[in-house]
Amino acid sequence: MLSISIMNIVYTVINLLILYVVFRLFLFKRVDAVLQKRREEIEQATAEAVKKEKEAENFKESYAKKLQDVGKECDEMVAKSKKDGYDEYDRIINDAKEKAEQIIIEAKHNAQIEAQREKDAYVSELTDLVVHAANKIAVSKHDEETDKELYNKFIFEAIEKSE
Amino acid sequence: MDIGGLLKELLLEDKVLIHFDFMNGFFDINKSVVVTWGVIAVLALTLIFLTSNMKLHDIRTKQLVAESIVDGLRGITGGMLGEEGYKYRDFMAVVLVFIGASNLVGLFGFTPATMDLNVTLALALTSIVLVEAAGIIEKGFGKWLKGFSQPMAIVTPMNILELAIRPLSLCMRLFGNVIGATVIMELLKMAVPVVVPAAFSVYFDIFDGLIQAYVFVFLTSLYIKEAIE
Repeated sequence: MLSISIMNIVYTVINLLILYVVFRLFLFKRVDAVLQKRREEIEQATAEAVKKEKEAENFKESYAKKLQDVGKECDEMVAKSKKDGYDEYDRIINDAKEKAEQIIIEAKHNAQIEAQREKDAYVSELTDLVVHAANKIAVSKHDEETDKELYNKFIFEAIEKSE
Repeated sequence: MDIGGLLKELLLEDKVLIHFDFMNGFFDINKSVVVTWGVIAVLALTLIFLTSNMKLHDIRTKQLVAESIVDGLRGITGGMLGEEGYKYRDFMAVVLVFIGASNLVGLFGFTPATMDLNVTLALALTSIVLVEAAGIIEKGFGKWLKGFSQPMAIVTPMNILELAIRPLSLCMRLFGNVIGATVIMELLKMAVPVVVPAAFSVYFDIFDGLIQAYVFVFLTSLYIKEAIE
């Protein structure tokens, strides 16, 4: 029962090693391969996610910058428009001033001409009156009294007219 | 009841199954070796079935079982070996399966392979070779040799004795437990042929067999851990 056979010990050791090889080939290696692949896949997915996140961050940054630029541009445009508006306003005002001045000058000129014309008309009327008076005097008899009367009449008429 | 006859049959039976007629039967093959061939064949077929057509996603139940087996075995042996003995965990897992399966063949009516002293001796020798090899590989030959006189020079003889005592204790513990369990089971079957043997079989054939496998692997792992520290 307790007989020891060296060859059987050797056989058993060989059996154990064979079982180890079997386990390695058909269990550990295969499962390890799958686990390794799975790990690689996870790592890849993680790397991909990190990459995507970075890209998104970059996009966000660029958009923020663009937005800032657009805001600046907008401000510039508004400022330009304001400046243009002021310029236009100034121009219009200046034009109006100039025109007004011209109108005033013209008005002054016209008034002068009108005054001259009125003066001329008055003078011609006065001349007519004088001629008329002279005619009257020439037609009527002359004595000192009538002369005086006439004279006064003329003066009164003239005064009346001029008033 | 012929207890003596039973024990004689159990303990003194002719273990040789395949006899070669040269060198006075030196190359004879024992029954236990043939049983382990069967164990290896069954395990290999099971593993080939379980790990065939492995996929990354949408795994089938058999692949899940295979992955669980790997995880479980490595968890057991890796925990016992610790960080440094990491690379020996696969071999220790195989030893665990080998002893466990060899003990469990009793359930199917075969004589457990570990009931043959030659098998347990082979396992113990493999273990002690592995332990010392691990020590030499991890520490170098000089340091390994010096390790015998530590912590004091006076313990050197005991450390050298340990080289023989450790495998002997491993071998005898396993052999004794299995043969004891088998003898008790046979006696029980003789005394009460129904129901009771089934209940005790759960302990003696399954639990004890697996516990002994675990103890064997646990002690070997302990020795390896100690050797590579």
